[in-house]
Amino acid sequence: MNELLSTEEKRAVIELLYQLADDDFIISYRGSEWLGLAPHIEEDVAFSSISQDTMGHAAMYYQLLEELGEKDRDYLSHARKSNERKNAVLLELVNGEGHYLHEPRYDWAFTVVRHYYYSQAKKVKIESLKQSSYPPLAAAAVKISMELHYHLMHWTVWFTQLLNAGGEAKKRMLKAIAKVEAEFEDVLSLGPLSKEIVKAQLIEEESRLLLSFHANINAVFNDLSIPYKGEFTSLSGRGRFGEHTEDLSEALNTLGEVYHSDPGAVW
Amino acid sequence: MVSKIINHSINKDEEKILSFMARIEAGEKIEADDWMPDEYRNVLIKLISMHGISEIMGALPEKEWVPKAPSLKRKLGIMAKVQDEMGHGQLLLRVTEDLIKPLGKTREDIMEDLFSGDLKFHNVFHMEAPTWGDAGLIGWLVDGAAIITQTNMLSASYGPYARALKRICAEEVFHAQHGEAIILALAEGTEAQKAMIQDSINRWWESLLMFFGPGDAKAVGTSKQDITAKYKIRSKSNEELRQDFFTKYVPRILSLGLTIPDLTMHFDDQKKEWIYRQPDWNRFKEIVRNKGPKSQERLRLRKLSYENNEWVRSALSSGSENEAG
Amino acid sequence: MSSNKNDFYQEYEVFSKRSDTAAMQHQFSLLAPNEELALVLAQENFMRREPVADIWVVRRSAVRKMNYAEKQSLPRIDNKEYRNTKGYGYLKKKWRQYEQEMLDEKEILSWGGKMKK
Repeated sequence: MNELLSTEEKRAVIELLYQLADDDFIISYRGSEWLGLAPHIEEDVAFSSISQDTMGHAAMYYQLLEELGEKDRDYLSHARKSNERKNAVLLELVNGEGHYLHEPRYDWAFTVVRHYYYSQAKKVKIESLKQSSYPPLAAAAVKISMELHYHLMHWTVWFTQLLNAGGEAKKRMLKAIAKVEAEFEDVLSLGPLSKEIVKAQLIEEESRLLLSFHANINAVFNDLSIPYKGEFTSLSGRGRFGEHTEDLSEALNTLGEVYHSDPGAVW
Repeated sequence: MVSKIINHSINKDEEKILSFMARIEAGEKIEADDWMPDEYRNVLIKLISMHGISEIMGALPEKEWVPKAPSLKRKLGIMAKVQDEMGHGQLLLRVTEDLIKPLGKTREDIMEDLFSGDLKFHNVFHMEAPTWGDAGLIGWLVDGAAIITQTNMLSASYGPYARALKRICAEEVFHAQHGEAIILALAEGTEAQKAMIQDSINRWWESLLMFFGPGDAKAVGTSKQDITAKYKIRSKSNEELRQDFFTKYVPRILSLGLTIPDLTMHFDDQKKEWIYRQPDWNRFKEIVRNKGPKSQERLRLRKLSYENNEWVRSALSSGSENEAG
Repeated sequence: MSSNKNDFYQEYEVFSKRSDTAAMQHQFSLLAPNEELALVLAQENFMRREPVADIWVVRRSAVRKMNYAEKQSLPRIDNKEYRNTKGYGYLKKKWRQYEQEMLDEKEILSWGGKMKK
């Protein structure tokens, strides 16, 4: 399969795969920090399944990269430096104040909104990727879309119920929506090789993805009787271009702590 | 006349207890809505609430290693394992909640009892887990010890507990293998990796012995072993369980070239039992009174997450649903 | 304590089936503030490792359970062969006299497929 790709196409596939892999990997990592700290025991269990599924999706993309001649998947997920990462900045931001081991005051509203928006964006991309010209990626998209149904259903229930609850919950949710939208441009960006990615017909162009996203979200906001602005920025940086926050550096130190203690060892 | 009525009701209670004990003797399962003596209800509440909250608190030491696990496979494995601990907590708290319901209590009361120190959690979960070796050791030996005590209660007379344990033990098989996989990778790895497991065993050994509780009431003053045996909740004594643990795990530990930090440890062929040095039972008492090295820190984590998310539970309480938006 | 103490913790019984042809089976119970959340929490709490084709959640209070006394109405005497094929086993011998096979359960339930001519 790889032999059929031109050099330019191969570069584009690799670029897109890094974005997809790094997105799923880092948001799953943030999810894993919540383990044991969710608002409700039953939710803790369900949320962990979503984080596991999502890390599983990242592993599938890293595997495809490995098959394209990139390094092994544990290196790709654990050893790459912050400026080599292609994930959207929104997904690397901390869950809230504090550290997962010390005084975590994690923000459930931000977590619900971030996961809800991300799941919606992921759905738009996955639907497009099913038509990808690169068959291994199209095949992965078909598999991933199976599990994405549940993620979207789960986060939709939380998203709509907390907004419908009114009062303090609604206030917290609206604040979280503003925070997420301020970073969201990055999530639907295809990065510096967007032209090559689209030319190779790996995925639809950004503007098309964005239109589908707006259409899906708008319907939900209508039902909730909340105005949807749909104006996104990349406030803290453009992750697709390798711009990242201190939050990512700290996460990489933690998630690679044991790995880096002896990268050659079998763990 | 009055005394006659009292006598009558006493007889009626005795009758109830007699027929209840007959059901226990016949091996019948007792269900949540059935009549049961207070002693039976209370011992179940004590046992199962402690078991349940220990699963919830037990998620915390391993959870420390979830974000740090050294590969994608290990990250996924330990996430799934800690998720199961929370899931076991869910099952056991549900069983407890049905038992405390007639007393007007709910999950909130269980949490408050934990925070006030009235509800204790297992000694092992008060301990530090400073290395990746500890993540492996918890899965291997702490879960191994848990499997031994839990399988001992699979035929417990209380139906809901037996059913929860059946689910739990099925998942524990995965936990044991998850722990073994980490340990075997370290045992077959570099010198530093091997040293990591030995260090973990040295630090955890006493806690593992304590896990099964004191051999008899003399060691810590009280024991509910007799009551749980009377009601066919468990069949083996603490000491029998500890001996079973030695039988299953000591040979495996030694086979990996690891040592046990107790020079007196050996199997006595004549007595047909393992000889070992008793752990410090006074320290055990201190630890379960939330005076272990990590007791306060972990309680703080649980309490903080409970308080910090109070707004979520309050927002979705039926009273406030669809309130002005 | 807030005035809506415990309102978040509603009891739901969870049922599921493994495949389209399987029967619904009771799994366990969970706490959730409403049935929508109960439904999205059910699968991952109780069926993480098995196939699921459908899930029902039922509010505990909607279940009319039997009490211990009522359960005493369940056992019956083992004298009802006439309800089962067991009571008609002698037909096999009878039909043999007429050189016919017995139409037993296995035979009859196979008729949905293609019949041997």
